[in-house]
Amino acid sequence: MSRLVAIITADDEALRDRSIDEACRGLDAGGLLAEAAALDAFRRGCPNLYRRVRALFFLAAIHRYHLPAALGERPDAAGAATIPAPGVALLLARRYDEAIDLLLACAASGPSAGLSSALAAAYRDLGLQTLANQVRQSVRAIRGNQWMFRVGHPVDHPLRVRRELVRRGDGGAGTPFPVLHESTPVRMDLSHAGWSDIFFLGMDCPEAARVLNISVDLGVHGRDPAPRPPVEAFFRVIDEPILRLTSIDLDATADIADVAEVFDFGRDHLGLLKAAVIASGIVPPGIEGSGASLAEVFAVVVGPGLGLELVSSVNGIPKGSRLAVSTNLLASLIAVCMRATGQARSLSGGLDEGERRLVAARAILGEWLGGSGGGWQDSGGVWPAAKLIRGVAAVEGDPEYGISRGRLLPSHEPVPLGADLQESLVLVHGGMAQNVGPILEMVTEKYLLRSGAEWRARREAGEVLDEIIAGVSAGDVRRIAAATTRNFTGPIRTIIPWASNAYTEALIDGVRERYGGRFWGFWMLGGMSGGGMGFIFDPAVREEAQAALAEIMAAAKRRFEHGLPFAMEPVVYDFAVNPRGTWCACREGADALLPAGYYARTVPHLLRSARRELPESRRLELELFGAACRSRPDMAGMVDTLFDKLLPPAAAARTGGRELRAALEALGFDEAEHEQIRADLRAGRIGLAQNRLPAATAIEDVADGDVGWWEPGADADGGLRAAGVDAIRRGEAAVVTLAAGVGSRWTQGAGVVKALNPFCRLAGRWRTFLDVHVAKARRTARLAGGTVPHVVTTSHLTHPQLEAAGLPVILSPGRAVGLRMVPMVRDLRFSWEESAQQTLDEQREKMRDSVRAALVAWAERAGEGSDYTDNTLAQCLHPVGHWYEIPNMLRSGVLARLLRAQPRLRWIMLHNIDTVGTDLDPALLGRHIDGGAAVTVEVIPRHLEDRGGGLARVNGRPRLVEGLAMPREEDEWRLRFYNTLTSWIDLDALLRLFGLGRAEVLAAGEGDAGAQAAIAAAVRRVSARMPTYVTLKDVKKRWGHGQEDVFPVAQFEKLWGDVTALPEVPTRYVVVPRVRGRQLKDVAQLDGWLRDGSAAAVEALGDWD
Amino acid sequence: MNLRRAVITAAGPARQEFPLQRLVDRDGRMRSALGIIVDEALAAGADEIAVVVRPGDEEAFLEAIDEPPSRLELIPQPRPEGYGAAVLLARDFVGDEPFLHLVGDHLYVSDTETRCARQLVEMARAEACAVSAVQPTRESMLPWFGTVGGRRVARSDRLYEIETVVEKPTPTRAEQDLSVPGLRAGHYLCFFGMHVLTPTIFDLLAAAAPDERRSLSTALERLARRERYLAHQVSGVRFDLGLPYGLLTAQLALALAGRDRSEVLARIVELLARQPQSP
Repeated sequence: MSRLVAIITADDEALRDRSIDEACRGLDAGGLLAEAAALDAFRRGCPNLYRRVRALFFLAAIHRYHLPAALGERPDAAGAATIPAPGVALLLARRYDEAIDLLLACAASGPSAGLSSALAAAYRDLGLQTLANQVRQSVRAIRGNQWMFRVGHPVDHPLRVRRELVRRGDGGAGTPFPVLHESTPVRMDLSHAGWSDIFFLGMDCPEAARVLNISVDLGVHGRDPAPRPPVEAFFRVIDEPILRLTSIDLDATADIADVAEVFDFGRDHLGLLKAAVIASGIVPPGIEGSGASLAEVFAVVVGPGLGLELVSSVNGIPKGSRLAVSTNLLASLIAVCMRATGQARSLSGGLDEGERRLVAARAILGEWLGGSGGGWQDSGGVWPAAKLIRGVAAVEGDPEYGISRGRLLPSHEPVPLGADLQESLVLVHGGMAQNVGPILEMVTEKYLLRSGAEWRARREAGEVLDEIIAGVSAGDVRRIAAATTRNFTGPIRTIIPWASNAYTEALIDGVRERYGGRFWGFWMLGGMSGGGMGFIFDPAVREEAQAALAEIMAAAKRRFEHGLPFAMEPVVYDFAVNPRGTWCACREGADALLPAGYYARTVPHLLRSARRELPESRRLELELFGAACRSRPDMAGMVDTLFDKLLPPAAAARTGGRELRAALEALGFDEAEHEQIRADLRAGRIGLAQNRLPAATAIEDVADGDVGWWEPGADADGGLRAAGVDAIRRGEAAVVTLAAGVGSRWTQGAGVVKALNPFCRLAGRWRTFLDVHVAKARRTARLAGGTVPHVVTTSHLTHPQLEAAGLPVILSPGRAVGLRMVPMVRDLRFSWEESAQQTLDEQREKMRDSVRAALVAWAERAGEGSDYTDNTLAQCLHPVGHWYEIPNMLRSGVLARLLRAQPRLRWIMLHNIDTVGTDLDPALLGRHIDGGAAVTVEVIPRHLEDRGGGLARVNGRPRLVEGLAMPREEDEWRLRFYNTLTSWIDLDALLRLFGLGRAEVLAAGEGDAGAQAAIAAAVRRVSARMPTYVTLKDVKKRWGHGQEDVFPVAQFEKLWGDVTALPEVPTRYVVVPRVRGRQLKDVAQLDGWLRDGSAAAVEALGDWD
Repeated sequence: MNLRRAVITAAGPARQEFPLQRLVDRDGRMRSALGIIVDEALAAGADEIAVVVRPGDEEAFLEAIDEPPSRLELIPQPRPEGYGAAVLLARDFVGDEPFLHLVGDHLYVSDTETRCARQLVEMARAEACAVSAVQPTRESMLPWFGTVGGRRVARSDRLYEIETVVEKPTPTRAEQDLSVPGLRAGHYLCFFGMHVLTPTIFDLLAAAAPDERRSLSTALERLARRERYLAHQVSGVRFDLGLPYGLLTAQLALALAGRDRSEVLARIVELLARQPQSP
């Protein structure tokens, strides 16, 4: 039997928990392929879901880590075999089984690292899909949820709103409908036992899934008088047959008459309220697509002519708090809807245990429907005070029995709080809002693989939890603090290094420095740090520390805000343990009013309407509201608020016209060119479809002779290395790092200076991308015994920040800037419909469709092709592509300065900021010198993640082709080599391209107007020959408390790689190892980059500090 | 088990007119619904019958019973205090014997030669315990019926040991607590409006707390914990006259199960043929 199958099927726990790395040690490629074949056969026939999934993750690991190392990236043609385009299409369509069959058939005739990269992705995603499907099935199969999927017509609807809520009281039409007011705390977890609260993991290993979870009320320190339940939901009947939804904190409201709109989650900011209406069964999921109107549904559920209103409010708690605000809000909304429909017994007070469990199950259902993913413990705020939440083994009769070891829903046991945490804990939101999703997938993968260090760390996290529980029971806060600190510095950072970051560690250091022994410990809330966090102090200094932390966080944010994605200013909370969990009150008569924020939003609209057009209930409500403004303290100040709303001050959120104009002038904005681009864009002369080369263009893979292969050490004997070293020693070489970008993909549009993003701990400290390149240049110069100028190109988005960073580099500021535009709808549709897209799971796909419909409406409303100015300045302007970076050096005088300092300078290595493995390797320089080309471009054998063009023969001539220029997207998969962008440039040859010489460059640098004009004309002339691409970039617009919307906006760019298309630029291509050429574009790549040894290789290339 | 007495409740607010509705019975005779219900009780062997009515309705109800039993008693319910309170009023009439209980606004059509109430009484005699008639009912009808949860009695396909009784449950509660193995998905055992009860029920109804409304379902829930209590899925269909089109449906069912079946069918076909085509 295969040794890996034996591990998966072992009864003996010690064998079953053996790591794959240990089991694969010593296996050669043949042995690994045999194991992979056995595992694949096993997973196809295995009825047990978790064994099957583990086999899938084993297979993914073999293909991602073990086989590529055993196969090597070279040396024969088979080593660079292409990934079949149909296989990629199947992967994008999430048809993993078919993709695997196709890829395996290709691999049978010659395995390769490229094919293995695709197989690894297919196996991993199939594993995750299998787990996600199981969770979804379990959510549907829970008793109490099933009926909602059967109701397909209003006539079949079995729910009724309780009569007490439909009756208006003794005054008849003169009294309002009662209002239900649910208030719910949020939850904080003292430990999640190393992310064991992920659904998959709780169901795989229920005995390890334990968390200590406390319900808390919150207030913002200095703003709110006292902590209170931060989440509120309101429910009432209305006398219009519609569903009226309002989110007070998101300032959104909608009157919905269509069932279909209730299921349209991405249309507005009311998705959570809609999910609650559905998950509570009022508009059950089974009724979607029935064609019924909401009036028909409500006629049965509420009464003919009546409707419902649901209002949510979050008390200013920002997104990313790691306090599960959104899950608890969803639970609160569901709870109030369940009470109103008799699914919870009581209209007021708390819930019983069975009802709480049902609310939790419905919240999971709601999150699935809304395409989000809350955790297994996240609705903890529904329960009172402190509780231990544990995984429960599935037993006969459970829907999970025989499929997973654990049940979907955990158990909740109250834990007495012996310790007064409020006396010691300072709870904060650090201001960062990051997506924790990739981390959860990484943890799942590591645990199912039983990766050695991580598995040991998980066990330790379990021990830490026991220690915390003991501390809580004994009332020993110091003990709790020691345990939570150990948790963070030990298991958490071992399992997922990315759960920490430079900002968090700077905060901890700052607090420790100021408070020494009176700072008792740090506590990470939720799945990652930077957002919600806790600092535990000696009670004697806690109050002072609250104020101090605000200062420390503000200072640290200023230090890191250009490199890390902050969504808001840091906040210090006041908090109190909530002893009763979710709680409801029924307001009747004159008290039947909604909160002040609701009226601030709705009353201006009502006042503008003719009184006779308002329904009776609205007129009545206005009267009650008017009376309340005069008598109720919580409505005090409403008159001023309404006045401001009715006569708002001039809008300040948009980029101010004068500010924008000034910035554009200062940054070299070309108004005439911009207007020409706008005209071309609107007329359809340029656009996403026009980026493509003509359909008749012949795109073929290059021949073996078109590329050379390079491996570190292999050229040493040929003397090329020595030639490179000599050139560096003579001062002939420089490095140019492209750092104009804002890491759109890295931070999902948040807009930070990617060069300054401290992305990884290397040589003992967090290092930015630029730190890495500086360390490598320093080492090369030391080894070669010369001076290596290091130029960093910047843009208006990155220049001031890079200047302030004070690194030993020469900055080359961008000389051109573009103004983003509202995209054309045809480009949006082209991007979504004509380009290959990742299919999502059913609910997320619906969500995406809905968001896209909203974006089309936005583009039409805002004006296609109009200037995009409804955001901060940095998000409205854009750099115009890296083609301009070398010309910028000519125009800005930076090249002249270099030439004056090092007149023998001739060779430039140009590379992207995220190609962290590249360096000024003397052997490669020697090879470039020896080759005699104007440009030598480094390429790597293509893996699945390498998308966006590559090296091709275009109409018979080798050149780089951008992905967006491919006439047929699938052609990309026939190209074996991917462009790293790293280019070795012969400066003199490049100047010849521009028709310039060194003398002109130097003269321009001295201020010679004629030379400057000649350079400007040369740059314009050559640039005109470079294609202009229209692209869509996602930009985030931030608003409210850490809320973000993402908009795709149009911009144009010219790219460096197209220089290889010019016939007068002789170009050579060299294949380098992936560890050198791979680009870090996405945070999700980091874990694999660390694990496959790339990080260690980079560490070895630098002189650190 | 000797069963001689039956109690019919007909005092529910807004429902008291249904027993007086006139229909054509299976034999083609024009009769009141109450008359047909009394027939059901008589056929089951109960020839002493009490009807709980709203004060003032006695005369109309007496007239509605065209074939009176050997003993007929009309018991006025002075205040509308609920269904359980109405049953409790019959305590003196019933005495210390098991009795058949029917509601005045339901009609029954048996699928066999044996009428529904008789099937129930025979089962109660055989099992010597309280038995309620039930019918598998779609969850969309839950807002109208008391519902039982339990398990099937071994070697029986229509008899259930009752563990839980909930009045008009939500579908959520029903799915959690009232699912019965063997029934179709989304179907629950709902009361048929017909019970054979032991006198214990009166103790349970009388023992309701002062602030508690006397609910028959609550008392039945307690009965299940006090003594053996079964549900019998009778072969037949119940028709609640109070539901929308309830009277019409009941009339059609009676007619189609009786001697005028062919004539009624012909009239329905004629009616259908005359209808304009739906768009």
